[in-house]
Amino acid sequence: MMTFLRIHPLTISFDLSAIDWFAVTVAVAGYVTVFLSLLALYYVFNNLPRLISLNIRKKLRKQGRIKDAAQSDLHISGEVGAAISMALFFYFSEMHDKESEVITIRRTRKEYSPWSSRIYSLNPYYRKKL
Amino acid sequence: MNRAVRKIWTLLGVIGVLIMVSAGVQAISGNDRNTPVQDSLVLQPDASSPDDPDPSDRGVQGLRKFIGYTGFANVTPGHLIMLAVGIVFIFLAIRFEYEPLLLIPIGTGILIGNVPFMADSGLMLGIYEEGSVMNYLYFGVKTGIYPPLIFLGIGAMTDFSSLISNPRLMLLGAAAQVGIFITFLGALSLGFHPAEAGAIGIIGGADGPTAIFISSKLANGLNIIGHTPVGDPVYVKNLIGPIAIAAYSYMALVPVIQPPIMRLLTSRRERLIRMKPPRSVSRLEKIMFPVIGLLLTTFISPSALPLLGMLFFGNLLKESGVTRRLADTSRNALIDIVTIVLGLTVGASTQADVFLIGESVLIFVLGAVSFMVATAGGVIFAKVMNLFLSQEKKINPLVGAAGVSAVPDSARVVQIMGLREDPSNHLLMHAMAPNVAGVIGSAVAAGILLSFLL
Repeated sequence: MMTFLRIHPLTISFDLSAIDWFAVTVAVAGYVTVFLSLLALYYVFNNLPRLISLNIRKKLRKQGRIKDAAQSDLHISGEVGAAISMALFFYFSEMHDKESEVITIRRTRKEYSPWSSRIYSLNPYYRKKL
Repeated sequence: MNRAVRKIWTLLGVIGVLIMVSAGVQAISGNDRNTPVQDSLVLQPDASSPDDPDPSDRGVQGLRKFIGYTGFANVTPGHLIMLAVGIVFIFLAIRFEYEPLLLIPIGTGILIGNVPFMADSGLMLGIYEEGSVMNYLYFGVKTGIYPPLIFLGIGAMTDFSSLISNPRLMLLGAAAQVGIFITFLGALSLGFHPAEAGAIGIIGGADGPTAIFISSKLANGLNIIGHTPVGDPVYVKNLIGPIAIAAYSYMALVPVIQPPIMRLLTSRRERLIRMKPPRSVSRLEKIMFPVIGLLLTTFISPSALPLLGMLFFGNLLKESGVTRRLADTSRNALIDIVTIVLGLTVGASTQADVFLIGESVLIFVLGAVSFMVATAGGVIFAKVMNLFLSQEKKINPLVGAAGVSAVPDSARVVQIMGLREDPSNHLLMHAMAPNVAGVIGSAVAAGILLSFLL
């Protein structure tokens, strides 16, 4: 047993003999199993696109698009997908009737009325001062 | 500088005043924390009996009882340390925005759990007192109910398309789990029981809910792990609080812990590697992933069913496209509610007398080692994979660090590190793949540890 640190009242000792065969089995089997489960997922999802594209190729051939069906990679890249999505988004979000695009400023006519006259809105006292 | 010094003096002054007030109150109430006052102070059932003491005496007694119940009378240095830890958590969350959604509830929980009160007074306040409100909320932690619900929300939030488009990155998620098993061995050699060591090891998965789930099963203070020579049962230690706090602390400290290791293990040339952009993933693949993932992983490790079942269920709700309401609830309202309750109760479970033990120090040290080993494992495995991959399929080894399942923080760290080397090299989408694979990997690892050690 190797004691390498003492923090009162705790003494930390390192005892490698505590790692028995059971512990090693747990560690090795555990790590291998984690790897195996993700490896199995990798295997399935690495081959899944091929299965899916088989179906797509069959459909394309039925439609007479032999050249398209013969392409090695039927998938589009994420970047192309993003560009198409962005273009569609802008196209659909800007859909409205065509406008004349002429902006006019119309002057409002201001007719005289005693109701809005400044001269009648102030009393004589303020008028004098002003 | 002067302002900083003034702040430190203010803080020290406040602590000093608290200690003085506490000492004064303890002197007045004549109450030592270890000598319950309630026996002498409990009101007599028949208050009007002729043997009643003088009403003025009863008044003084009542006052003493009240003072004896205050936090000042019961405070210990342990409480003050834990209160300071809680305040530091809240400070880190607000000032540096380190995982605020976790650290604010946990920090507040630490404050709530460490407000000193008279233990065993019948007030039923403590989180470990049967029948208290906090104890009811803690039930979800003790029995491992909350973590699967969190996984449901994570599943409904996560887009696995980066993983599906480049499945070989899944292996990085597996490689990073090496931290769990090395820490398990390390904990054993430090004298922990195998069940406790398994629970401690899972900190290396950098997955808070998984850490809580497995510690609630393996290191819950309830399981009997042996018998004394006289036949009394020996219980496993209750390490839920320290393990949960360590796991969440290290998750919050991902931006601090990971970058030095990533820099140390990679050359500049490797950090500049540009990866092939991911392909677009069809809806069919996205729907098939949770179904196949669930069946494959749980057939291998059925003990991880509560976690993986909920994770993939949540993802199916999202990807099916026909259960939008359920997916929305899972990823918003439900996960928020569970996060609040989980964070608060995990924080409150760090009551000074339970938390401030020698084992907690060890758990924190082991957790840090575990996290570093996991990061290194992912990065090194990416480098090994590069030896066998063609030039166009090479993996930027920084991405390997995201194999620890701190979603999405470690992926974000990878992105920042990548941008620092080359401002036009975006690694986030690539890093998300091992990151979510790490979630699956750590849940599988938890299941395996459960089946071996429970």
